[in-house]
Amino acid sequence: MISDKLKSVILNELHLEGYEINDETQANQIPGWDSLNHINVILAIEKAYNVRFKRLEVLKCKNIGDLQKLCDLKTTS
Amino acid sequence: MEFKTVWSRWEENARVTPGKDAIVHWIAGEEPFRWSFDELLKTANAFSVQLLNQGIKPNQVCAIIIRHNRFFYPLYMGIVGIGAIPAVLAYPNPRLHPDKFRDGIRGMSQRSGLDWIFTEDSLEPVLTPLLVNSTIKGMHFPLQWDLTFRDANIEKELDEIRINRLGTDPFLLQHSSGTTGLQKPVLLSNRAVLEHVDNYAQAINFSQDDKIVSWLPLYHDMGLIAAYHLPLAYGITSVQIDPFEWVLVPSLLLEAVSKEKGTVAWLPNFAYNMMADKIPDDELEGFALDSWRLVINCSEPVRHESHVRFFNKFNKFNFKQSALSACYAMAETTYAVTQTIPGSIPVELSMDRLKLAQGFVETTQDFAKARICVSSGKVIKGCRVRIVDENRKDLPAGRVGEIAISSVSMFDGYRNYPEKTSDVLQDGWYYSGDYGFVYNEEYYIIGRKKDIVIVAGNNIYPEDVEDIVSKVEGVLPGRVVAFGFDDESLGTEVLAVLAESNLETLGDKKHLKVRIQEAGLKNDIAISKIYLIPARWLIKSSAGKPSRKANKERIIQPNEFLVE
Repeated sequence: MISDKLKSVILNELHLEGYEINDETQANQIPGWDSLNHINVILAIEKAYNVRFKRLEVLKCKNIGDLQKLCDLKTTS
Repeated sequence: MEFKTVWSRWEENARVTPGKDAIVHWIAGEEPFRWSFDELLKTANAFSVQLLNQGIKPNQVCAIIIRHNRFFYPLYMGIVGIGAIPAVLAYPNPRLHPDKFRDGIRGMSQRSGLDWIFTEDSLEPVLTPLLVNSTIKGMHFPLQWDLTFRDANIEKELDEIRINRLGTDPFLLQHSSGTTGLQKPVLLSNRAVLEHVDNYAQAINFSQDDKIVSWLPLYHDMGLIAAYHLPLAYGITSVQIDPFEWVLVPSLLLEAVSKEKGTVAWLPNFAYNMMADKIPDDELEGFALDSWRLVINCSEPVRHESHVRFFNKFNKFNFKQSALSACYAMAETTYAVTQTIPGSIPVELSMDRLKLAQGFVETTQDFAKARICVSSGKVIKGCRVRIVDENRKDLPAGRVGEIAISSVSMFDGYRNYPEKTSDVLQDGWYYSGDYGFVYNEEYYIIGRKKDIVIVAGNNIYPEDVEDIVSKVEGVLPGRVVAFGFDDESLGTEVLAVLAESNLETLGDKKHLKVRIQEAGLKNDIAISKIYLIPARWLIKSSAGKPSRKANKERIIQPNEFLVE
């Protein structure tokens, strides 16, 4: 399940306080998460979790739930 | 060698260099698929046979709505091969509401007279309602076709079509700028495209050793003409990257250039910033960009700062400063009008900003007053350019005016849109709506006549945005202004909205902002900045409508606090 931390990082980066997102939400359903902002969101997540994603790993994420799993994997390995 | 049609030029390339890579279809993290000129033409021919078998006729308009797929290219060519007219349309972004997508296609169909749609089966439920009461005769799923199908009678018919095809016959339909419903259909002949291939190839010193690498979408003239048709007709290789993948992983372009020894690319200005600022160095380990001889900035105003950032970032990966380049182009002239000289950095002028705004071309050494203007180069062969005033009369040297173009590769007018055609086309001159000036035979584009906002290479009409936002509950209808503003860090314009509302609490206003963003999202428009303002705040123009210019100036006044 998507953590409060990941939710907060994404919504803060997009200035969307209070917006509802869950595991199934796709990036392109979130206001402001467009082609220009995508990398900013990813960089913000990397900074918050102190991890580095390989860009192809991010490309394979279909929704926020996948992104959460990737964060979990990176922080436990 | 003279060619009557683009198809005959493709045939010649397949005959002369059958085994050479024509298109390298790039997929992130996988081995690319390579089409040789010979195999590509054979597969295109197989599509042509199937198309005739399905009842498609010459001169019918065939819209292609397919994601990044290796069979896109031979399908497109196969349509050309039967004398039908391909029109590449954008595959809908999942954020776009299906009704809006259908409205857009319906609008195009009314203007362009779309006859057939070639798409993927996943879009069938979305597109089926369009088949009622429209010009569209049917929908096909060509990725499922049997390409081994043969029929002697059809092949005979095909030969006859190709023999009788003329240079003046229509070749392709591309849609010029604009948000979906307002796109203008530009029909180009075989001759226009063939002339452009030769003239532009000469301007950029094309040779058989060149290799194009591109992530540009093929529904955009820069992707379709520069990065697809130009190499395909000239007989050189192009590497095609999925635009959706590039947006998520911008280093894909550099990986492809490094691995494939790419030599030429076209990019909109925002891509320079994105790649310079957002790709970490460790992602570029082992990349070498020394093969790149031309990276051509086009389709957005060219920014000095973006070129500096790009060079500073990639210099250590052997990127040559002399590869920085620029051109000025538009769908109405097939593509390029001007181009900087290959191998020399675009000329930059320090111009007096105030004088420019008054319409005068004057250089200055005073940095505080200066605007750095980057040249888009000299006029290419086959084109002529004039700088004209509001009455379309030539302006003397040293003046800023509208750019008018005459070209051997000119369109014949917007298809089924005579009123729009007569607005912009007069006595063989196309009046572009762009403002600029000429200095030492080099052209500088500095603004636009209309309030179009160019966000990352996409043209957005403020009227569309104002209409969408006006309908959001909580916004006072008709009391909205949309405009663009420069985002230096992104290297592009972004969209801002001023909307009057009677809502008072902070919570209500926050929710309204989200609703406005969502409304934009459903129309595939990203609104970067939303200002909520009280009723009667907006300044009206003399025509009684809220003025974009005056309200933009008012909102950016630093001392005026009117929004939360």
